[in-house]
Amino acid sequence: MPTGTVLSVGMAEIKVAKGPVVYSCLGLGSCIGLCAIDAASGVSGMVHIMLPEAFKDKPVEKPGKFADTGLPEMLKLMEKQGADLGRLQVAYAGGAQVFNFGASADSRLDVGARNATAVEALVLKLRLRVLGKDVGGSSGRTVTVDTSTGVCTVRTVKAGEAELCRLKSV
Amino acid sequence: MAKTITLDDIVQRTGDLPSLPAAALKVMREADSSTSTAAGIAKILAQDQALAVRVLRLANSAYYGLQRKVTNLQESVVVLGMRCVKNLCLVAATYPWMSKRLTGYGLGPKDLWTNSFGTALGAQLVARLSGKCDPDQAFTAGLLHDVGKVALSVWLEDKTALIVEYANRAQVPFDSAERRILGYDHCEVGEHLGRMWNLPEELILAIRYHHAPDLCDPTSPLVDCVHIGNYLTLSMGFGLGGDGLHYAFSPACFVRLGLQPEALDEITDTFVVGYEEYETLFQELAKP
Repeated sequence: MPTGTVLSVGMAEIKVAKGPVVYSCLGLGSCIGLCAIDAASGVSGMVHIMLPEAFKDKPVEKPGKFADTGLPEMLKLMEKQGADLGRLQVAYAGGAQVFNFGASADSRLDVGARNATAVEALVLKLRLRVLGKDVGGSSGRTVTVDTSTGVCTVRTVKAGEAELCRLKSV
Repeated sequence: MAKTITLDDIVQRTGDLPSLPAAALKVMREADSSTSTAAGIAKILAQDQALAVRVLRLANSAYYGLQRKVTNLQESVVVLGMRCVKNLCLVAATYPWMSKRLTGYGLGPKDLWTNSFGTALGAQLVARLSGKCDPDQAFTAGLLHDVGKVALSVWLEDKTALIVEYANRAQVPFDSAERRILGYDHCEVGEHLGRMWNLPEELILAIRYHHAPDLCDPTSPLVDCVHIGNYLTLSMGFGLGGDGLHYAFSPACFVRLGLQPEALDEITDTFVVGYEEYETLFQELAKP
């Protein structure tokens, strides 16, 4: 049974906490829920990314909305709470696509795949240690991370709940 | 696989078939007619007190931010406009059965409602951006697009796993798998219901072809708007069931509506912002 406070991470939200909490990203379609834990400092965070990159000609009101602003913002907030970014362990899931996108389709229309690619490139660039990821496919997902155990689970209507990975717990 | 039950059976034997109150159907027709008046719409609405009360409650919700409380139907039509009241009327009429759990599709309480309302807003937005069809008509079509699921769900309960398994194995969209296993899909059941309710033909086509807009002959901007509205809704994960995003997407709709692929992210953003603003309306609907 989860012991910490349950933090629901809605669209474009970033939540950061110190100590045991349970993060939950409900009903992810093409969006991506990414969670990071620094076990030593007890600091963790989760972001619910909607789109791959911020609009060039618009101010960013909610950094969590975009991969290229959301992930750096979450790391900044975690650092403020005492996290050491070099120790982070990360898991993420989402980026579903419609099943039959069509071979001739413009890839710019495929938000799920673009989100997954953007997050993958960012975690590489930021040298984050990814312990588990579950992206693509055509199922909606709910991602839950209990930082007291480090267990990250993904639930789909089709397949039920399955453990994705175990991050080092706080 | 042989059909186990016909479309007529579904309509005749489903115990809890969705229905549109006669007053709601009349308001739809009246609002779309060139001779409609606020008094005429109010008179029709007054024939169904339960519906009228819900429409007034929605009109007075925080979403519309009216300066003072609207207390009579005619006033609500004057203040909000005929098209807006028509949509409120449909929302109030469909919410009771769209907010129920649909086990056959793996949809929890309110999931179908969330998905239908999202598709309505998405279709309305795309219609507005493209200028190719009436945004209010697109809202109506989006709201009703999955009505077939309500009738079909009860007959699916022991077959869902089979359909999902077949869709995965044969690598076909969920609606194709429905046709293979049941003999028809939820779009065809929805079309059947639409005809039973005597809905306008363009709405029936939107229900019938929302997963296969390229097959609608001739193609229809309204069908295309609903297809993209549904795509936005599925992508954002609003009210996903066991069928998830297991549907085909037609990029040709984008072309036909004159939309640029690079505009998708901004459309998605506008869609989600609009959807979140409507949450106050949901709260009002959920009140007993």
